[in-house]
Amino acid sequence: MDTFTRFTNQTQGRDRLFRAIQYTCMLLRYLLESKADREKVVMKLKKLESSVSSGRKWFRLGNVVHAVQATQQSIRVSDLVPRLCLTIANLNRVIYFVCDTILWVRSVGLVADINKEKWRKWAARHYYYSLLLNIIRDVYEVSLQMEQIAQEKAKREKSMPQNHLGPCIADEETEWLQSFLLLLFRSLRKHPPLLLDTVKNLCDILNPLDQLGIYKSNSGIIGLGGLLSSIVGMITVAYPQMRLRTC
Amino acid sequence: MDSWVRFSAQSQARERLCRAAQYACSLLGHALQKHGASPELQKQIRQLEGHLSLGRKLLRLGNSADALESAKRAVHLSDVVLRFCITVSHLNRALYFACDNVLWAGKAGLAPFVDQEKWAQRSFRYYLFSLIMNLSRDAYEIRLLMEQESSTCGRRLKGSAGGTLGGGEAEVAVGGSAPGGSLPYLALQLRLQVLLLARVLRGHPPLLLDVVRNTCDLFIPLDKLGLWRCGPGVVGLCGLVSSILSILTLLCPWLRLKP
Repeated sequence: MDTFTRFTNQTQGRDRLFRAIQYTCMLLRYLLESKADREKVVMKLKKLESSVSSGRKWFRLGNVVHAVQATQQSIRVSDLVPRLCLTIANLNRVIYFVCDTILWVRSVGLVADINKEKWRKWAARHYYYSLLLNIIRDVYEVSLQMEQIAQEKAKREKSMPQNHLGPCIADEETEWLQSFLLLLFRSLRKHPPLLLDTVKNLCDILNPLDQLGIYKSNSGIIGLGGLLSSIVGMITVAYPQMRLRTC
Repeated sequence: MDSWVRFSAQSQARERLCRAAQYACSLLGHALQKHGASPELQKQIRQLEGHLSLGRKLLRLGNSADALESAKRAVHLSDVVLRFCITVSHLNRALYFACDNVLWAGKAGLAPFVDQEKWAQRSFRYYLFSLIMNLSRDAYEIRLLMEQESSTCGRRLKGSAGGTLGGGEAEVAVGGSAPGGSLPYLALQLRLQVLLLARVLRGHPPLLLDVVRNTCDLFIPLDKLGLWRCGPGVVGLCGLVSSILSILTLLCPWLRLKP
């Protein structure tokens, strides 16, 4: 219980937990909607999902400042590609949080004449750009890792010349694909924070892709993606060493 | 900017900010009503207050576990009175949060059969008990500190000739048994006690903050349970003051009363 208390004392921990609950409800609703006598349960899940979703807005208020600070930090990253990607991604996050705050102001009724649809689309668009740039950065880091592992392997093979049976020409393509996948698997396994970050961004991008109409999926896939990314978020909050460092 | 990031990273800090905003809205609504502002504005403020209240209930989900954890830690305290007061206070808080969770479930539509009035009364009752325990603990700490302070004062006065108090007063402070029970003597004793209390509280800011916070908080359940109707203005003001004080203890951890 002590770990649970320490976890929930952090805003991000609590927020990720509620996010996991929200997307679990979405997933369960999708699975139970087709069943005949489950309307009451589906309705309760929908109510829970909407209360948790509207309650989570209180966790996001003021996150504009967090995003501005993250932008300032990402400007100081040493490597060029991550620096560019992260800075633009964080700038997009700033705009996303501004749109989100405006939507909050509308939802509590402080200002009535705000075009909800327009601002929602804006928020989704900038969230999408920020996730896209994060994925580009992840791909770059993965490629660096793969290059490093390939170089190490080449060095090892040079120092210990082996006599292995040469592959037959017809299998060259599959062999290339196999070795590529093996390299990818090895580099992600060696660097768990990178794996977690990539999974999180890929799962997260499903929602804005659906909202912007670029890739329409169903609420089941979005729910599953959201649940997975929330679990990854909870792991990075509970174990800060699993968070991908920007250096 | 860095301090806001660090502050808002604690979920309790956000909840306290929402609480301050909620009671500010309540106070503002009462002021607007008194001065005859437009019903549209009053409705907006009431709506915002409602949103804040519901949002806070969600933010507080899971606080029962926190309160139970604190009660478990308090059981190991050495002083008997402190152990009793703090443990019972945390247990009552845990029950208050549990009732609050039930109210949230009712408001969110998950458990529509929940009797909002009954559970609200229950939750305020537990909150009141917890505040009474907190104030008892504060009174006990004050009593200990006053005894400590008066004995050190007495030792200093016995040692040196004048001291901060006058000669006659010094005898009264050091001595103990009263020459008769005359009114001026009692008034003098009372004045001394008040001075001692002020000195103790001034020397221990965490204790002073805790006393003021608990006293302000006390008006809220007293009003909601109908024991002492003070009106929404007083409730709003007290709630706002106590929220600001608890935000202060979060910003400056040395101002928090230990344990």
